[in-house]
Amino acid sequence: MKRAWQIASLAFVALAAFMLVKSFEYPFKDRLGPGPGFFPLWLSIITVALALALFFHTRFGKNVADGPTTLVPERSGALRALVILIALVGVLALLTTLGFRISLLLFLVFLPLALGVRNWWLTLIFALAGSFGVFHVFYYWLRLPLPIGVFGI
Amino acid sequence: MFAFIGCVLGTLIGVLPGLGPAAGTAILIPVTFYLDPIPAIIMLAAIYYGAMYGGTITSVLVNVPGEAASVITCLDGYQMAKQGRAGPALGIAAIGSFIGGTIATFALMLVSLPLASFALRFGPPEVFALLVVGLSLVTGLAGRSLLAALIMTLFGLLLAMVGMDPVRGAPRYTFGITPLYDGVGFIPVVMGLFGVGEILLSMESPVLEVIKTKLTDLLPKRKEWKVSIGAIGRGTGIGFFLGLIPGIGAIIPTFIAYIVEKRVSKHPEKFGTGVIEGVASPETANNSYANGALIPLLTLGIPGSPTLAVLMGAFIIHGLTPGPFLFKERPDVVWGLIASLYLGNIMLLILNLPLVGFWAKLLEIRYQYLYPGILLFCILGAYSMNQSVFDIGVMILFGILGYIFRKLDWPLAPTILALILGPMMERALRTSLEISGGDFSIFFTRPISAGLLILAAIVMVSSAVRLLPLRAGKPRTPC
Repeated sequence: MKRAWQIASLAFVALAAFMLVKSFEYPFKDRLGPGPGFFPLWLSIITVALALALFFHTRFGKNVADGPTTLVPERSGALRALVILIALVGVLALLTTLGFRISLLLFLVFLPLALGVRNWWLTLIFALAGSFGVFHVFYYWLRLPLPIGVFGI
Repeated sequence: MFAFIGCVLGTLIGVLPGLGPAAGTAILIPVTFYLDPIPAIIMLAAIYYGAMYGGTITSVLVNVPGEAASVITCLDGYQMAKQGRAGPALGIAAIGSFIGGTIATFALMLVSLPLASFALRFGPPEVFALLVVGLSLVTGLAGRSLLAALIMTLFGLLLAMVGMDPVRGAPRYTFGITPLYDGVGFIPVVMGLFGVGEILLSMESPVLEVIKTKLTDLLPKRKEWKVSIGAIGRGTGIGFFLGLIPGIGAIIPTFIAYIVEKRVSKHPEKFGTGVIEGVASPETANNSYANGALIPLLTLGIPGSPTLAVLMGAFIIHGLTPGPFLFKERPDVVWGLIASLYLGNIMLLILNLPLVGFWAKLLEIRYQYLYPGILLFCILGAYSMNQSVFDIGVMILFGILGYIFRKLDWPLAPTILALILGPMMERALRTSLEISGGDFSIFFTRPISAGLLILAAIVMVSSAVRLLPLRAGKPRTPC
């Protein structure tokens, strides 16, 4: 846990340092007063300082972040989380091309099966309701524009 | 009707683990796009306080809080369910929530207008100081490491820097990516941090064991009433007054209500073994808080929790700005919302008492269907705000971050609040400095802003004293 806190603090140091460097591209002051660079510059400086303080505190402080919790889950939990992420990235990649209905149909068929369901019929009904059914409610009833894919579906 | 739909959806969100009220409210914002502002806000507010009711059912029957504020209810609620007394536990929670929510709404009605009139005197320095107080309260009270909470607040503020500068309109940190010109959308961030992140974490132990018990005799017996009445009264007071403090969150009032109840009890040793006061008081405080916390949002424009930040975002999307001017310019929205709170509390009582068996049945849905279903609505919610696939990517990214921050035990609420308050804060700061010609003393020479900044300093110092030495990695709150 201690190590995880240190890595996270350093990640924030890096992020804030990057934003600090970028903030120099925006005017710090203009004729009316503080410019667009004013607030991000100060925020970045404070974030770098606090993230470094947290890093040194966890590195050298006693009883700091030294609990038993670990960042890495056990194998089956990690696999389930990974399956969810893959499915989400799949939707991200396919949504514009295949449209809402087809990509969500694939998502809702893939995910339950990948998580261990063996009832194909129930999964298919669930996926059809979640893709075509939800599309119908949101697109036609609630008038919410949702993507339609290359097949016109 | 919209209050009713909101109450049903809110209870559903509260019941289902893996979908907190913040993500749940955010998911349903697109549903309100085609509505007029008043029914839209009424529906979203009903979702917010409906979720507070619904969370109890999961706490009592599964020993997992449906939403964070119901954590403490697990202690006695679950024990009561194990003893075959789930009915009275859920019954007293619904009745207590109704009483607490209704009294808090009445108090909200009395307090809001004078407070909003007072807030009309605020200029940019006072607004800035008020936002500093709000963020310092959220930061100071969140998590067990002040440094980590501060970093999470600053993370939210840094995210708020992406997009158009709120004063001059100059693009910042956009890297030529068109969707970033509108900034980092708070809806995909909320969906990611509170929806996807929560589900990824749930994947580590996804199977819920629901206690099989007959949900009969929902009304408590005379003896149970006797001990519950006082608990409900105390819970109402504690919840409402703590709701007035922006940033305190829904968990603290329930814990304080529980501790107070234990202190005043003649049998404190029985707490945790299934005493009805242990359910009545925190559950009442929970809903009383939910209504009380609307006061800082409606009168000052400061959301006290991530869910209220989402609600504030919904106000903005519908062209309304929460704060003192809302009372002046759109009294129909404010009073319509307050009237709906009364009705909503009655609806929730009806939904929760006779239909509790139905809600309990929902807990038996297999996670392999439940979580994909929730993710479907997360995708829908993230996409439909700007009809942008980019926002789904933002949601996935923040889902991963939400998972990591949860594992690190770093608080997420400060990030969301800072993200939504960041542009207001920057605008207030820069306008103040423009007025003063760059002189920072403007914040200390005006009595209200000076007083508020001193208050913020006190909050931060007292939090530092409370939290040092910094510790982490302790087991999560027992439930």
